[in-house]
Amino acid sequence: MKFGRVLLTVLVALTLQMALARYAVGGRWVFDLVLVAVVYGAVLWGPAAGMWIGTIGGLMQDALSENVIGVGGFAKTVVGFGVGVLGEQFMVARPLARAGAVAAATVVHRLIVVGLWAIADQDWRGVAWTAMLMETSLNATAGLAAFHLTQMLPGAVRHTREGRRSPLSRRRW
Amino acid sequence: MGSTRRTLVLFLVLSFAHLLLMSVQMQARSGVPLFQAGAFGVFAGIQRVMAGISDGGRSVWANYIALRGVAAENDVLQKRVLSLEGQVQTQAAIVSQTRALEQLLTLQQSLVAPTLAARVIAGDPAPGAFVITIDRGSADGVEPNMAVLGHAGVIGRVINRPTARAAQVQLLIGHNAGAGGVTETSEAVGVVKGGAGDPPLEMAYVDLLKDVQVGERVLTSGLDGIFPRGFVIGTIERVVKGSGVYREIAVRPAVNFSNIHVVLVMLARPARAEGGS
Repeated sequence: MKFGRVLLTVLVALTLQMALARYAVGGRWVFDLVLVAVVYGAVLWGPAAGMWIGTIGGLMQDALSENVIGVGGFAKTVVGFGVGVLGEQFMVARPLARAGAVAAATVVHRLIVVGLWAIADQDWRGVAWTAMLMETSLNATAGLAAFHLTQMLPGAVRHTREGRRSPLSRRRW
Repeated sequence: MGSTRRTLVLFLVLSFAHLLLMSVQMQARSGVPLFQAGAFGVFAGIQRVMAGISDGGRSVWANYIALRGVAAENDVLQKRVLSLEGQVQTQAAIVSQTRALEQLLTLQQSLVAPTLAARVIAGDPAPGAFVITIDRGSADGVEPNMAVLGHAGVIGRVINRPTARAAQVQLLIGHNAGAGGVTETSEAVGVVKGGAGDPPLEMAYVDLLKDVQVGERVLTSGLDGIFPRGFVIGTIERVVKGSGVYREIAVRPAVNFSNIHVVLVMLARPARAEGGS
């Protein structure tokens, strides 16, 4: 596991999350791109990477919002570990299976967060099922796009390189 | 095998650290200011750049490409400006009359606090946080607990310590947010709280004896010492006779929280109303 890769993933996910959420504050469009990054890291690089992305990303989210620091971090660490371990046991190679993993991780993550809030506030806020359904769908779509893009990217780069004509000096006549 | 054990140990260590962190805060409820401030400082800078890029793109689109129907819209807006100018003059006349009456009655003048326009540069860092970031901070005179308003009504208040060029705003619809409210017609006083589902605001502690009607507007009461009196919070959508001595009132916010791009920060805090708590 390369730590720089983990930090970069967290940074990109959190920046995108805050930049895109600017257009959907308090609305029905609920998504969590940091959670998508956790599943992404756990599936591609294993449980340790998933856990670190979850810990760092979750703690950063907690620090930037008004939540108790550690709630998001704990939930995402658990998700990163769980997805990573399951990803090692089962084949999660197809994009749809990976999107399904993101969807399942979203539900588990939300339930852990709601449970921890209930303990922290001594008050059961309840589960907003519509918002959870929206978050699950959007996260799964974002995960599908992320996995698809990373699968396409190496091929696209190679294709571009191969398609590029060599300079005149190097060209064989 | 060794790798699996190492991963498991790492998981246990990280989980324990998180639980420890949470339990410390639940006892002290003071958070970790240094970590929060550091994280906010770093991400405010990044988000300022991101917002600049996205606003630049939108500006190019809006100002150079999507100009269909602008002439017609301009005509409509010019008429609207004329009408609003007339209304402003009427209001100015009313204000001067009120000031004169206040002087006559030797009342304390109701101060209108200066405001500062700010651009929203970042949204919710985590779903359900209901916190936004604006591009004005301590260098512009923004302080914690200052009221933040939109064109339609109350948006929220500044939380935490702002950095020099950015501040966080807790939206009124958030779980831990609230404001003193008063109904416009029946003058029932209560506390408007966020996180209520649909609609996202509820007005609590309203006396059962008050005849509160659906459709009535809820305004800020000024009793909380944050929001000045008289700003629109929302409209009453549902009134239920509660189990205790209070009514249960659901309030639809006046502000469309899913479409906030520019806000106004009230730079001075209102004087706490007499008898307020």
